[in-house]
Amino acid sequence: MNIMKSTADFDEFCKTIKGENKNGKPCLVICAGTGGQASGSNDIIRIIKKLILEKNLADRLSLRITGCLGFCEMDPFILVEPQHAVYPKLEMKNVPLIIDAVIKGETVEELLYREPGTTRKCNSQDEIPFFKGQKRLILGNNQRIDPIRIVDYIKVGGYSALLKILKNQNPKWIIEEVKKSGLRGRGGAGFPTGKKWEFASKAGNGSGKKFVVCNADEGDPGAYMDRSLLEGNPHAIIEGMIIAAIAIGAANGIIYVRTEYPLAIKHSLLALRQARSFGLLGDNILGSGIKFDIDIVRGAGAFVCGEETALIKSIEGRMGEPRQRPPYPISKGIYGFPTCINNVETLANVPFIIRNGGDEFSKIGIENNTGTKIFSLVGKIRNTGLVEVPLGTPLKEVVYEIGGGAIGKKRVKAVQTGGPSGGCIPASMFDLPISYDSLTKAGSIMGSGGMIVMDENTCMVDVAKYFMNFLKDESCGKCFTCRKGTQRMHEILEDITLGKGTPEHLKLLEELACVVKDTTMCGLGQSAPNPVLSTLKYFREEYRRHIEEKRCDAFVCKNLVGAPCQAACPVDTEPWRYVAYIEKGQYEQAYQIIRQANPLPAISARVCDRKCEHRCNLGVSGGQSIAIRPLKRFITDRVNPDVYKQTINKNDTKNTGKVAVVGAGPAGLTAAHCLSLFGHKVTIFDSEDKPGGMLASSLPAYRLPRKIVEKEIASLMNENITLQKGLTLGKDMNLKALMTDGFKAVFLAMGAHESWPLDLEGENVEGVYPSIKFLKDFNMRGEQLARGHVGIVGGGNSAVDAARVALRQKEVTSVTLLYRRTRDEMPAYEEEVEAALEEGVKIETLVSPVKIHVRLEEIEAAIREGVELETLVSPIRIFSREGRLTAIECIRNRLGEPDVTGRRKPVPVPGTEFKLTLDTLIVAIGERPQSQCLASMGLEIDKGGRVKVNPHTLETNIKGVFAGGDLVTGPNTVIDAIAAGKKASRIIDRYLRGEPLAEPPGLKLPTVFVEPAAVSDEEMESATRAVPPVLPVKARKKNFNEVEASLSEEQARREARRCLRCDLAFTQDCNRQPETIGDKKL
Amino acid sequence: MDEQIIEKVVIEHRDSLGGILSILTEIQSKFGYLPQDALRQVAKKTDSSLTDIYAVATFYKAFSLKPRGKHLVSVCLGTACHVRGAPKIADEFSRQLGIKSGETTRDKEFSFETVNCLGACALGPTVVVDNHYFSHVTTAKVQHIIEQARKGFQQSDPRTDHRIFKIQVNCPVCNHTLMDNEHEIDGAASIKLAASSSGKKGTIRLSSLYGSSSTDSDGDFPKGNVISIFCPYCREELPSELICPECGANMAMMTAGKYATFHICSRYGCLGHMLDITSQTQDSLKEMKG
Repeated sequence: MNIMKSTADFDEFCKTIKGENKNGKPCLVICAGTGGQASGSNDIIRIIKKLILEKNLADRLSLRITGCLGFCEMDPFILVEPQHAVYPKLEMKNVPLIIDAVIKGETVEELLYREPGTTRKCNSQDEIPFFKGQKRLILGNNQRIDPIRIVDYIKVGGYSALLKILKNQNPKWIIEEVKKSGLRGRGGAGFPTGKKWEFASKAGNGSGKKFVVCNADEGDPGAYMDRSLLEGNPHAIIEGMIIAAIAIGAANGIIYVRTEYPLAIKHSLLALRQARSFGLLGDNILGSGIKFDIDIVRGAGAFVCGEETALIKSIEGRMGEPRQRPPYPISKGIYGFPTCINNVETLANVPFIIRNGGDEFSKIGIENNTGTKIFSLVGKIRNTGLVEVPLGTPLKEVVYEIGGGAIGKKRVKAVQTGGPSGGCIPASMFDLPISYDSLTKAGSIMGSGGMIVMDENTCMVDVAKYFMNFLKDESCGKCFTCRKGTQRMHEILEDITLGKGTPEHLKLLEELACVVKDTTMCGLGQSAPNPVLSTLKYFREEYRRHIEEKRCDAFVCKNLVGAPCQAACPVDTEPWRYVAYIEKGQYEQAYQIIRQANPLPAISARVCDRKCEHRCNLGVSGGQSIAIRPLKRFITDRVNPDVYKQTINKNDTKNTGKVAVVGAGPAGLTAAHCLSLFGHKVTIFDSEDKPGGMLASSLPAYRLPRKIVEKEIASLMNENITLQKGLTLGKDMNLKALMTDGFKAVFLAMGAHESWPLDLEGENVEGVYPSIKFLKDFNMRGEQLARGHVGIVGGGNSAVDAARVALRQKEVTSVTLLYRRTRDEMPAYEEEVEAALEEGVKIETLVSPVKIHVRLEEIEAAIREGVELETLVSPIRIFSREGRLTAIECIRNRLGEPDVTGRRKPVPVPGTEFKLTLDTLIVAIGERPQSQCLASMGLEIDKGGRVKVNPHTLETNIKGVFAGGDLVTGPNTVIDAIAAGKKASRIIDRYLRGEPLAEPPGLKLPTVFVEPAAVSDEEMESATRAVPPVLPVKARKKNFNEVEASLSEEQARREARRCLRCDLAFTQDCNRQPETIGDKKL
Repeated sequence: MDEQIIEKVVIEHRDSLGGILSILTEIQSKFGYLPQDALRQVAKKTDSSLTDIYAVATFYKAFSLKPRGKHLVSVCLGTACHVRGAPKIADEFSRQLGIKSGETTRDKEFSFETVNCLGACALGPTVVVDNHYFSHVTTAKVQHIIEQARKGFQQSDPRTDHRIFKIQVNCPVCNHTLMDNEHEIDGAASIKLAASSSGKKGTIRLSSLYGSSSTDSDGDFPKGNVISIFCPYCREELPSELICPECGANMAMMTAGKYATFHICSRYGCLGHMLDITSQTQDSLKEMKG
């Protein structure tokens, strides 16, 4: 390239290149930025090149290798121009398919981007919610440019802003335009750029050196927009710097870039060389007489060097310690010369402002916060990547619309902005428009634009500790309060996460935070307490849980969690322990461990929602969690329950009493059983003819065979327990009578046995049934209500149970499950949904019956179920003929913003109504307790019909009356009901003894050492989760045989070997010998 | 300690921006760490106190005062990686390598460090081993990553790796084929080129397998020097338009079929190369020149 010596040369050059690429040749665009390369885009690029060469396609297809395209979650992906079809997460084998299709002008439907959880495909980039919600003023060019080709940048209008200025040189005009634009520093502090340039232009004596510095020391962990800009569009930064230099009269430029960004350094170096070779940098820029050149200085890994005075010292080759300001770098910077320091993104905005005018720019965004801002949306969010939106955009739009909300069924808890200097903003404040001022007001800062999303598995105390750890390492040490204050704050937080926290700790922490804020010199110290203060402000309850109850609900703080499987279990089972015994073949001991904690082991082994497995460290860290429930099943199938000897406490008659338990479901049975062992006389009352509650009436036999239920319930009975069947509280007896009958305490555990109605007109016609009735009539009485085409409304386990039961009934031809959200949000267990699909249930997602209205008291339950109120306003008509259901009308929804439960609301799409011909409709949108009678007896009931209790003591408002299980929580799992029963038994026992009721919190850590098996890394690597055998789909037709079978002994023992034995971290240090301690008490 | 090397580095960087910082960066890139002797010499040669040099060397995380292992494992502990479980990944590397962060294995094979943020936040947890990025790392992948590093990332068999393919190149001036069937590299015809540097002449041969960096040369050129590359038939220097993305030197161009061009870096020993199939740029540049 010959140096261009005038603006006319450049114009001429632009003309020649603009004629190119008008042939409409399709172009494959692929990211080879750091993110893309880390995801394997280099391999995809190679395959593309290979195919183009081999098939001689270069004249029909072009390839553009770009920097970061922003949608990093989908890398490696190909974008095909001109249609902008997006093929995400590509594998090498897919490339030939795409190339073949592109050549023919077609698309590969099955590889196109689809909205998560739906089958809806997006034909072009603009249809993808991630892109649709953005305004990519700055980032947009990354897609159009190969960063190692200056010509690409020029083709999209690059350097035209510089040309505009060179043709009519007027530094004052530049500064005026930038001031008019309202552009504020994108590095975080938000200082008006125009003002800074104005000061800089006046600084110095007019003859001395001046510097323009591009601050690319992007040290905030979690932010990477500056890297992506330098990597993907380095010339835009260079152009911005040249313009800044002309505006302030500087001849020297420096890009100060982190050494951790090798590709950004490489591309910048290359771009600088190219710009020089074009005459855009150097002693005489395009013949204008202007002299300006840029050097690159690499940072060497020090966070504080992002602070401008520290950065200057670093450029001078010294330790990066900040100094007092003023004098500001603008007047006294590098080697004492005036130095104007701007952030990468700030500079990237400059060419746009010059090209389009400051006024045009100021129209974007909101007052005092103009233009767009790029955020790196990362952490626990579905669509991670770089997001550019106008300032003033509400946070929720970024998190939910663009980011797609949390991953899976998790809920977003908070967003951390501003890096270590910022704070955490809770989900309840997501209406906040994103601006410099609003974020500061909320206790955080804009910072460089990191937006780290946190969900319920993120511990906020741990987050605060993380930042304090970061800051204590990165504090330069100059100010005592920063150096020591961050250390002390870290120690306090460490204590809290170790379970050694006290309420005084919090006070001290707050005091320290304020001192550090007030007494430090630079931005690092002054903002260092932000992570602590903001989490204390918004998440104090989490701190309290850590300190007072020694619980980390996010399962992050190791020393509070112990073995996650154990900590997760509501009934305090030690899964690691029985898994260890299975590995040794000691099955009876395994049974003892299971039974000790859980009086209904065989039932739990079939229907537990396996909280232990969801928390298993193997699964959490990306592997497959241990099949704990199948292992429990293996043991309960194999071991005779009689090996566990129940002992009834008979010594202490003085403190025993008569207890009435109402409801013979899992909560009531467990409470009665445990109380009886404590020596109390218990009478269980139940309205049905058979005990079991939901276990007998709702749970289908193919999941839980009736024999198992009967046998296990029978095993709980003893001489202290009397069972009274067919008696209903409120009808056959009442609380007062029970008390006068000599019962000293009553435990209410009647469950939640009433289905929520849809409240559609015509819901009472024949053929429409509440799921509870439908299931109970069949399970208890063998009546088959379903026939023909069956529709089920709902997405919970009861909906899925109803669907699968209907499928097994004789006169049923088809079963369709109708749910308002997507499959990802279905509350039913994943394996149950899978099984239902296998058996032939059709699932229609994002569908809901239209025109529903609710009564006020039902709102709460509707919200729990996730119903969006707006959809529930107008009346509906269920189609019926001669009093019998014939069809329903449905409307399709789309997912909108999340509701209070964090799940995204279904929003009906007008005009998408459709009619569904049905013979049976089963309504399974949720259950509630039948508690009207309790209210009349004086018990406090909430809007959802649930009995109000003190959560620590299970006491109701009537003395001596306790309540637990679904009656208190609303529909919940079997294991939680068992846990409630256990807890009630302990509390009622203390009540009868006249002891304080509340249980002191305690750490549930593993205490017994069990020798681990020697498992090689190779075995761990190759082993996969054991899958229990299941009945083939054909064999399940129209019968209720149990679907899932036991693991084989070989399977079980092999599976047990996979256990990571998280318990050992707590038991091994003590050097306990298995022979002497361990299993002595068994 | 080679005093001359230090001397050269000091002279080269003494007056440039970054001063001591760039001197130390350069020394670290040469030795892999900052040897004590080197720091003493830098102090002497820059007329600074050793304390000042030591202060800079210990202030910045990128510097190491201890020798590092053959492979460097960096686990990102940025916020995004942290909330996605990076501490567990760091623990697992620590466990499998048997060293803590900042340490080197006894056999000097691996050094392990945790870093604040690598800027690949969307892909967390991220691990970088010898400049290779790994995204969405799980504890289950750790062992595999260590093994891969031990084997070397570049190792792949050209015969079985389907990412590697053969290219055919010609001289852009005389259009003579540059393929040499007589002399095979990687089991395929090699690319034959003539080269010269400060009076020395020789022939260099490259593997024609794109993705293989095998070469064979009879010329005795010092590594790192820019050499002139010629067509062995018409003796014209191969024209270059592009700058090597790796080192900034000019590149030499060959044609690879009608629309594609193949560029190699003219710096002897630099592996920079590019198979360019976005032909329009090159056409326009030619026009410009013409």
